Amino acid sequence: MIARRLVGALAAVAIFALPLYGSPFAVALGLACLMYATLATSWSIFSGPTRTLSLATSAFFGLGAYCTAFALGSLPWPLIIFLGGSVAAAFAALIGLVVLRLRGAYFAVLTFGLGEVVRHAVTYIEKSQSGTVGRVLTDTPPAGTVYITVAVLAALAAVAYRTVARSDLGFALRGIGADEERAATLGVHVRRAKLAAFCLTAWFAGAVGAAAAVRWTYIDPSSVFNPFIVFQTVLIAMVGGPAKLRGPILGALIFSLLAELLRLRLPYLYMIVLGVLLILSVLFLPEGLAGVRWIDRLLAPRRRARAEASHV
Amino acid sequence: MDPSLFADLAVAGLITGGIYALIAIGLNLQYGLLRIMNIAHGEFLMVGAYLTYALRTATGASPLWFLPVSAGAMFLLGLALHRLVFRRLAATSASPEVLEERSLLVGFGLMFVMQNVALLIWGADLRGYDYLSDPIQYHGVVVTANRLLVFGVVVTISAALMIALRTTMAGKAVRGMLQSPLGALLVGVDTRRLHPICFALGLAMAGAAGSLLSMIFEVSPSMGESYTVTALIVITLGGLGHIAGSFVGALVLGLVESFGMYFTSPSLKVLLSYGVFVLVLLIRPRGLFAR
Repeated sequence: MIARRLVGALAAVAIFALPLYGSPFAVALGLACLMYATLATSWSIFSGPTRTLSLATSAFFGLGAYCTAFALGSLPWPLIIFLGGSVAAAFAALIGLVVLRLRGAYFAVLTFGLGEVVRHAVTYIEKSQSGTVGRVLTDTPPAGTVYITVAVLAALAAVAYRTVARSDLGFALRGIGADEERAATLGVHVRRAKLAAFCLTAWFAGAVGAAAAVRWTYIDPSSVFNPFIVFQTVLIAMVGGPAKLRGPILGALIFSLLAELLRLRLPYLYMIVLGVLLILSVLFLPEGLAGVRWIDRLLAPRRRARAEASHV
Repeated sequence: MDPSLFADLAVAGLITGGIYALIAIGLNLQYGLLRIMNIAHGEFLMVGAYLTYALRTATGASPLWFLPVSAGAMFLLGLALHRLVFRRLAATSASPEVLEERSLLVGFGLMFVMQNVALLIWGADLRGYDYLSDPIQYHGVVVTANRLLVFGVVVTISAALMIALRTTMAGKAVRGMLQSPLGALLVGVDTRRLHPICFALGLAMAGAAGSLLSMIFEVSPSMGESYTVTALIVITLGGLGHIAGSFVGALVLGLVESFGMYFTSPSLKVLLSYGVFVLVLLIRPRGLFAR
């Protein structure tokens, strides 16, 4: 137990201090990995237990990025991140009132559509307001600041995931995932629980968007509302397994390495590999990598019995 | 409103709607009947379009010859995919909802694979060929000949399918499965043989639609995505598993888009179709024609 804590603390220090000792390449790789981990972990807070496929991540991410584009230079950096997350969460609350009534493929397609609608709306507004689409970002914070920001967000997302999973909200969400009518009959306030988790997911996606926006010097709707952001998030969470915290983290680690190996040299092949992996994992690993028992045994030989007893 | 402008918009809307109908009926065969939410439906359309484009530019013959080739190729691909992936998926899914969710994810995987294979083979550029692009004028309404031809073909295919569903024995079996999967099984419908055929038929219709689209528009690896969403909107409008409803719903959506874009702005097309989608889902979640 103490050894595990020690390893965990050392890993956390190693992650946070990476800009001090790592090469720029290592920092960029770490940043990508932490970004994916935050997006996939926060996505799993809502979509994991409720088994509802939300495809609105791109919309949240893009809204956060646009917040940065507007506020950079006039507001302090941490406030911008908070604002980016809050705008996304407010948007989630607004659309959640309507779309959370739907289930299955309709929910998935409608949340995806909202991303497209926001993208087109932003393009339209930019065009009619200023005549041009996209914005240039000036006086961006140094790469180290961005890295630390995303690392903090990743840690917060992990804490949020654990906290929700162990709280009444987590029980309510799992109940909804198992059988929504039954959960409602047993006294779960279904819409309130779903809305709370949906907004939490959105906050993180928006905050990551706000932080990641400065990686580009120029942002426009087609890059920050890119559907690929949500596809990759879902892919990472599903291949890793959204039912356990280590699922999305494991997924993010694998995919950032895979991306680094393949994306620049063979971009099309990279996407084909992603697609095949997704199909194979849906067919043969319905619980994701985190559901494979040998990983369980490898990582936590003694804690498993307790984890199973508490179902977290 | 000027009558010839009205006629122009109506004709444009009906032609777009006719193409939507073909794509949506294909998706309805998969989603309404098998509960397979094939989000890569538009990708099969894209492959059908590229096949016709490639054969047309290689041989120079009329692209109409390659319509059955594209449709047939997608039919075979559909049989193979059902055998390899979706049969197993259906067998291991506990409920239709789980199957829906898992097939959606598999669809995403297929989308990644197919779009990028197309990018590897043909690259990202828009490609096209010229075919019957002379305008035809009739009482002030101007349409290009290829659009009229495409409209004729989609109406023929859709009507043939609807008549086959009404009159043939296999069609009755399919309608039976649409009404009650268990009931159909009880009266002796061979679902194990009909499921792959219906799935493949859905893809064949996407292939045919793609082949037709290549005659009027340029083709690109990402052309399919928006059609998938449109098809889903249409089958929601027309009702799940309701083939004639899909046909009418598609024409309605085509008209809404055509008139809506004229009165607002072409860049609001996506907003318009999603607006229709949200309204239908909220007001008539079982479709406009549900009894």
